[in-house]
Amino acid sequence: MDELPLGKEPDKLASYAVQSEYDIVKARQIARQLSKQFHMGIVDQTRLTTAVSELCRNMFEFAGGGDIVFETGEFEGHEALMISCIDHGPGIADLELAMKDGYTSGKGMGFGLPGAKRLVDNFHIESEPGKGTLVRITKWI
Amino acid sequence: MTLKITNLKERVEKVEDILSSVAAGDMTARINPDIEDDLTGVESAIDLLINDLTEELEERKKAQDELENKLKTIQNQQETIRKQQEDMLELSSPVTKVWENILMLPVIGTLDSQRTQIMMENLLENIVSTGCTIAILDITGVPTVDTQVANHLIKTVTAARLLGAECIISGIRPAIAQTIVHLGIDLSSVNTKGTLQDAMRYAFRSSGQKMPDEIDTQDNWIGELK
Amino acid sequence: MTEFLSEKRIPIIKMRDYLVVSIQVDMHDRLALELQAQILEEVSQTGAKGVLIDISVLEMVDSFIGRMLSGMASMAAIMDAFVVIVGMQPAVAITLVELGLEMPGVETALNMEKGIEMLEKRVGTKSQKNSKQLQ
Repeated sequence: MDELPLGKEPDKLASYAVQSEYDIVKARQIARQLSKQFHMGIVDQTRLTTAVSELCRNMFEFAGGGDIVFETGEFEGHEALMISCIDHGPGIADLELAMKDGYTSGKGMGFGLPGAKRLVDNFHIESEPGKGTLVRITKWI
Repeated sequence: MTLKITNLKERVEKVEDILSSVAAGDMTARINPDIEDDLTGVESAIDLLINDLTEELEERKKAQDELENKLKTIQNQQETIRKQQEDMLELSSPVTKVWENILMLPVIGTLDSQRTQIMMENLLENIVSTGCTIAILDITGVPTVDTQVANHLIKTVTAARLLGAECIISGIRPAIAQTIVHLGIDLSSVNTKGTLQDAMRYAFRSSGQKMPDEIDTQDNWIGELK
Repeated sequence: MTEFLSEKRIPIIKMRDYLVVSIQVDMHDRLALELQAQILEEVSQTGAKGVLIDISVLEMVDSFIGRMLSGMASMAAIMDAFVVIVGMQPAVAITLVELGLEMPGVETALNMEKGIEMLEKRVGTKSQKNSKQLQ
């Protein structure tokens, strides 16, 4: 995994295992709670909560589950809330294709990744077929 | 020259201990020599050095605290400025209910991405709170738009549609129309009217309301309010 | 793994020729799909011509729920029932647009009142048409 452009080590706020549909709901409730806590506007709260829901569902549907980690830290010089979704699933072979609008691997309308990217301030994805996927989204606070 | 020193071993050990304590952070450690001989000079000098070090550390800490306080003050001021700018942006684009079921948002001045976002949120909130299904966004007072702003405007119209309302954009200057076409922005999903009057006329018809009486050919209001 | 001890069903209320559903909980995926099935079942059982889905309390609509809603609208239309989604929150609308989910074929109204107006117009017209054809 490459280096995060952080000023200092991030502070971990919470981490949660996403293994069921209920966990997707729980994860987005945590996201809502944290975004409220950090005084994000109502629209940004909704953006972040929705992005988390999309990413967790991806993990659950395509990788059989994974972990979500909530951290705060300094990202590119600003205080930020960083949320990472990490799974050890099949991974994504063609990242470029997956990040294209309208891409689908058979399920849904393919709004997962490109859509979530539009909702956040920074979007980072790493994936290795056979090993797993990491998606980290960042929102300034 | 021979040195006359009593209890050399003990005193050297004491010097070592004191120096270790200071190195570990204990600035209160002092040798305090009580025997006058050829080693006392060194012992006193070491105590004086520790005194000087302690003073300097305290001064440095004071200076750092001051800097931190100044930084905090500046950060607070920046936050105040940011809030005031936000307030200014909201005030500069008031949404008015101009008729039954019709809202209007006149925009004046340059639009940047942030301002357009706030305008959009403001307009949509107003649509919900007033229950008006038609909103006119008049940009006669806007000299130019860029791709980002144009996209925000399209987003506003689409979001209004999702809420169950229609958002009309009026007052697009020729310069803006040119920019939009040159940038390849697709406005086909947006209802645009040349003038505010055209937009109002459309709004009345669309909401099935009776037109105000007596509008002459110059679009001047010469009727009575009934 | 959390177990929900008592899974609440979302109530579906019959009002004249219409069904009214008020979604007040943060639905997990399975509950959303169950709701979709329940509504269609009720449409079939009651012969309702319109369905009003009130999402004024919903703080988030993601792609799954969005697909569930637009899917339901299409399915209900095949069963001759018209679905209107009312009360979407502005933040939700903005997020849906940014997500790229525009829910084609789904009618929306600002609030319940406007939603009923819309249904009356739609369903009213249809029954007029039907009675004309029968003549």
